[in-house]
Amino acid sequence: MSVKPAGRPDKPTLGSLQRSRSADVRGQVFLGLLLLAVTLAIGMVFAVLLSVIADGADVLSSRLWGFLSNPSSSDPVKAGVVQGIRGSLLIAAIVSVVAFPIGIGAAVYLEEYADGGPVTRTVEIAVRNLAGVPSIVYGLFGLAVFVNTLRGITGGSSVISGGLTLSLLVLPIVIITASEAIRAVPSSLSDGAYGLGATQWEVIRTQTLPSAMPGILTGSVLSIARALGEAAPLLVVGAAAFYTTGFQGFLDQFQGAFTALPMNVANFAKLPADQWAGHAAAASVVVLVVVFFINLVAIVARARITKRLGR
Amino acid sequence: MATAMRPDQDVKTSGQTAPWSPVLPTLTSRGVVAGVEVILYLVIVIMVAIVEYYVAGPITDFGLSNWWIGFVVYAAWTGWNWAGAQGPVGSYVDHFIADAAGRPACFSCIAVRQFTRFGILFGIPFLILDSNVWLSVALMVTTGFVIAAMPDRRAPWDLIAGTTITQSLAGEASVELPVLTKPSDLQLSGQRVAENRRAKRLLQLAGFSSVIISAYIIRVIFGEAWEFVAASDFEWGLLRDIGWFPRRNKFDLSTLFVGTLWITGIAMLVAGPVGLGVAIYLSEYASPRLRGVVKPAIETLASIPSVVLGFFAISFISPTVLQPVGGSLGIDFGIFSLISAGIAVGILTVPIVASISEDAMRAVPRELREASYGLGARPVTTALRVVFPAAISGISAAFIVGISRAIGETMVVFIAAGGSGGAIFEANPTEPGQTITAAMASLGAGTDSVAGSGIAFQSLYFLGALLFLVTLILNVLSDAIVRRFRQEY
Repeated sequence: MSVKPAGRPDKPTLGSLQRSRSADVRGQVFLGLLLLAVTLAIGMVFAVLLSVIADGADVLSSRLWGFLSNPSSSDPVKAGVVQGIRGSLLIAAIVSVVAFPIGIGAAVYLEEYADGGPVTRTVEIAVRNLAGVPSIVYGLFGLAVFVNTLRGITGGSSVISGGLTLSLLVLPIVIITASEAIRAVPSSLSDGAYGLGATQWEVIRTQTLPSAMPGILTGSVLSIARALGEAAPLLVVGAAAFYTTGFQGFLDQFQGAFTALPMNVANFAKLPADQWAGHAAAASVVVLVVVFFINLVAIVARARITKRLGR
Repeated sequence: MATAMRPDQDVKTSGQTAPWSPVLPTLTSRGVVAGVEVILYLVIVIMVAIVEYYVAGPITDFGLSNWWIGFVVYAAWTGWNWAGAQGPVGSYVDHFIADAAGRPACFSCIAVRQFTRFGILFGIPFLILDSNVWLSVALMVTTGFVIAAMPDRRAPWDLIAGTTITQSLAGEASVELPVLTKPSDLQLSGQRVAENRRAKRLLQLAGFSSVIISAYIIRVIFGEAWEFVAASDFEWGLLRDIGWFPRRNKFDLSTLFVGTLWITGIAMLVAGPVGLGVAIYLSEYASPRLRGVVKPAIETLASIPSVVLGFFAISFISPTVLQPVGGSLGIDFGIFSLISAGIAVGILTVPIVASISEDAMRAVPRELREASYGLGARPVTTALRVVFPAAISGISAAFIVGISRAIGETMVVFIAAGGSGGAIFEANPTEPGQTITAAMASLGAGTDSVAGSGIAFQSLYFLGALLFLVTLILNVLSDAIVRRFRQEY
């Protein structure tokens, strides 16, 4: 504050009411701690990304195409992740076919038909608890049901079993995000349709679902990213560490041995580091690229669709 | 009813509600279009075979995969056309959407037409190449029914999803939401009521699926766990041994509990302060612009798969951070240690703690902060004495969810904590160790246990049941805290 001219009455200004910043030691220390926490958190992101990229740079720069197109091998020079890419693609397909319709249907039921009675409460509690179950427990369930009980259909430890297990894993996520999207649709839309005499299903189909579509799509796409990053359930379901394939017949494609990208990372990471650390890092980079790309697609699609719908 | 909802016929802007007269292709044109479809399908299959040749080398067995991939490509192409009702298929589908009088065709008529259409295209190749009769028949029947069961034969929802996606990708004109066009559409017909009932039943089933899955998970996991308890002539003595070696019938639970406690404790030591600090900074201090940068960065952390962090623990945390620091303190760190894995789990938990506590603090109404500033309080006082207590229920829920996530985290510990197969009881976190989840992963990774019997296999389920119970209790607890201490503003 400036020096006041003598003789003038000491009129309080807004500035004088504020305690000066330099005196606020506690506040400064606290803010410093907060900034330290933020720096640490962002530093963690960069440390993970940069160290993984640095470790994988060798493999990726010397034999990128070979790494992406070769199957698993015991020879570090030949080993690649094409089986993991194929498995992850099939898993993404199975998840979108199984989890999306059921999840979105359940969300519509919870938001539009639910009456708040004991039945609905049960469904809500079940969804919330399923969302908190550790992923490896889903693997146990998949092992008992899909791999052992339904062996005749799934073929045992196959991509069908893995995909179905991950579908169950992301189901609560799809339900929760779709519910949020549906809840955000203004009720004036459905009220108008009801006023015109539409049935409940017609209202849902022509008004609610189209308006909620951006949110539903985003949530669904993000849940695929989650499924593609999961390894623990696949480990228990029995994703193979090493197998050989040519191009097989129709059923073998789905019922035979399989693996997925995160399983490749885990397998490489479990091998002796001096030869295989670069492979684990390169596979990590591939997983990260896939997951970030899916996230990006979700964000961009959401922005564009929201704009198209004029909201 | 919704035969009048045609996207290519703009009834809305024409002002008059002219009744829609279906464009019914002649038999010849239908035949031509069907022929084109078959040729197109074969072309796709051949193209797939060519791509396959370049990817996988010379084809020894022209297997069903080609027909299958061709089917997917073809279905996508048809779906594209259906969505815009354009191209040869678009005009082709018209004839089974309505009969000559403009009435919607019956469900079974469409089903039969689709049997012949898709059955010939897709069922017969499977029949020939796989000689699996039942699979082929099942494929024909399900394809027919799936297509016939699409609500309204030409459902606005798939139409809108299709056009929204295609147009947003192509950057074309805006999507028009369908409108009910004719007064007669609004008369409650028996068909509309029946459809409404059918939709409700289907959605109910989808809703109950989560209850069914929950119940089934509990039944399966606790059933197998009980087998373990029964088979081991349950004595607590059996669960207290020199270590966890399931294949040698040594089931020392305390080994796993100590490992899990260390991992969870270290993870929360990392995630608690960092996550909470980030949350307070974002909700109380950061400008909107800064928030727009920091928040996505933290969310990036949430989307990093846990295997990557497991690898990060052994490739970076142990050699670059722990070993130099430990060396200067006189502690000997290996590559695999509970501390290293715990720190990596903590990094995974940071975004969970941060985002849930930030939500809780942002939910505190502005008036409380303004009142506090009005009384002359500093930002630090406002944050710690006003906002923090008001959001305490959400923040504790965030910590409990973080703990539950840390307990359930598998891959990081499996890769970085070093216990594979078994572990000796180890209370020192600088040494390798085993947690509940990592023990399960090691058991599951061994091929012999997946075969499905034996006490080692069932011990997997015993651990699963324990884990399920612990996380369930934590989740219920966090829910209860939020419910109990929620302040109604």
